[in-house]
Amino acid sequence: MWLSRDRLRVTRSTLLLAVVAIIVVSVMTFAVSRAVTTTPPPAIGTTARPAPRPTRPALTPAEETYVRAMWPIHGDVERSLMRASLGQIFYKTDDITRDELKARMEQALVTYRDAETRMRALQPPESLRRDHEQYLAAVRLFRESAVEANKMFTDGREDHLLAAYPKSQEGSDKIREVGGKFWPNEFPPN
Amino acid sequence: MVRTLMRVTMLSVFLFVVGGLGSVDVLQAKPNNKRPPQVLPSGFESSDSLLRDVNRAERGPLHSAWIVESSRFVNVPFGSFQPDKAGLNTTVDLPVNIGIIEDPQGNLTLFDSGWKQLAYIFDWNTSCCWKGIRDQLTAIGLDPEKVVRIVLGHGHWDHAGQLSEFPNADVYIQKEELKQIDFFLNYPVDFNSGHIRAVNTVDPITGAQVGPPQQACARTPVCGYPPQTVQEILGKVLGGKAIIVDGRHEINRGLVIHPAFRGHTYGSQLLQVNTPRGQLVFGSDTYSSWTGIRDWLVANIQQTDTVQQFLAYEKCYVLASRQNSFNNCVSAHEPISYTADYPLTSNWWTIPDGNCSRAAELILGPGKTTHVPSPPPRTPPASCVSTVPPHDIKP
Repeated sequence: MWLSRDRLRVTRSTLLLAVVAIIVVSVMTFAVSRAVTTTPPPAIGTTARPAPRPTRPALTPAEETYVRAMWPIHGDVERSLMRASLGQIFYKTDDITRDELKARMEQALVTYRDAETRMRALQPPESLRRDHEQYLAAVRLFRESAVEANKMFTDGREDHLLAAYPKSQEGSDKIREVGGKFWPNEFPPN
Repeated sequence: MVRTLMRVTMLSVFLFVVGGLGSVDVLQAKPNNKRPPQVLPSGFESSDSLLRDVNRAERGPLHSAWIVESSRFVNVPFGSFQPDKAGLNTTVDLPVNIGIIEDPQGNLTLFDSGWKQLAYIFDWNTSCCWKGIRDQLTAIGLDPEKVVRIVLGHGHWDHAGQLSEFPNADVYIQKEELKQIDFFLNYPVDFNSGHIRAVNTVDPITGAQVGPPQQACARTPVCGYPPQTVQEILGKVLGGKAIIVDGRHEINRGLVIHPAFRGHTYGSQLLQVNTPRGQLVFGSDTYSSWTGIRDWLVANIQQTDTVQQFLAYEKCYVLASRQNSFNNCVSAHEPISYTADYPLTSNWWTIPDGNCSRAAELILGPGKTTHVPSPPPRTPPASCVSTVPPHDIKP
């Protein structure tokens, strides 16, 4: 069948329109089917009732000054502790050398000593004195643990790492407890 | 017109023939051993190798499996969990699920170990329903002393806690996970004047994020790994109770670890378990949302490459392709866990004296009897009030 040029133009336009219409209908069908098959939002009101959540009392100016001063110390201690812990793991898995571990442990020891010095220079308010002592005790444990671990670099016995471990574990429990009180937003749910 | 049609047809045939002769294998999804360009080499497993693991596992023992809720985050903005749902402006409750797998000899494998920082869970976050995992196992009718191994889907503290509760259990964790933490501890700050940091990311007083506006700590490099958690892993290593895995690892026939690097964290991993209902695939936070896997939506994006999360979803689809497909993917935080809407978890009950925590029996091995009480106690979450266990630190 032969079509005139004008008629052909109309036919092409019609064809184009038809193609567009098919695409639109397809997209809409897909969207509707997806909306139907995807999960509806969970209903609000099915929430378990958690225990009443206490609110943290506002800090006094003295407390705030103290907590703010502790923050960078806390960061240095945490970072050194984790680098030392991971260093020991990687040493055990042959991913770092003894010299590399030694460097990490010595650096950690310097950090712990420095943290103790900086903490002793602080004047904690009476309300936080117990927490201050707890944290200081934790840093002392880290230092003692590092001293024990570092013995392996003089006598070559790796069982010093195992002997050093309980103190660093106890210290990490302490700083998590105190840290949770001082900086409750430090670690969010993951 | 006819000529034009003929030319188009001939050209199409020509292209088809030439295309068939040429190398297009990088575009083929499966089955082959070619690595698509977006896949990390270190975590790559081809569809063929995954199916070989299915074949091998199917000749192995059949396991029983449960999940149990370590705790529950309540009233979490849906959008912060699944970005695609942000427009709904609603909240969800997120269980923190632990997988429990029993082999025919009664040995137990935990997939993740929940957490235990009670002050944090109860005092400073809107969480509920925590109960110690040993008590939960006992309440389910399982012996905690039978836990021989713990496979950590990733090392975040809400999934890798309570390790010291099982001193005799071996811990399996990816080396990539530990390397991630170590790398970000050394994250350089020189180039951004400390604007983006690995630690100390919040204001010490207000708790407000220091760094890019609205950036929660969860989006910073090492958030989620307190020293306490790393210490517990170190304890396992020093005690000879850690297996540092590098990629795929077959623990036993029918119990296979698969890497899911960057699926949630750098060293995330999955656990394939052979059961009478086919291969179950436990995914921890890589599989934070089962509906996300089903509907192909990202969820709980942390140190995540979203493409890798989708590729990890795909691993479940392949491993479970012979039976139940995505219905066999086991999620850590799926809001509709413990309902019929997540069919795998529909056989659930409220754990007696479990502080509102729930458990679900996923499947039983041959000859095993159910651990679900009859009738199953099912306290509606809205009417269950959890209590705060005693803990040392108070606000």
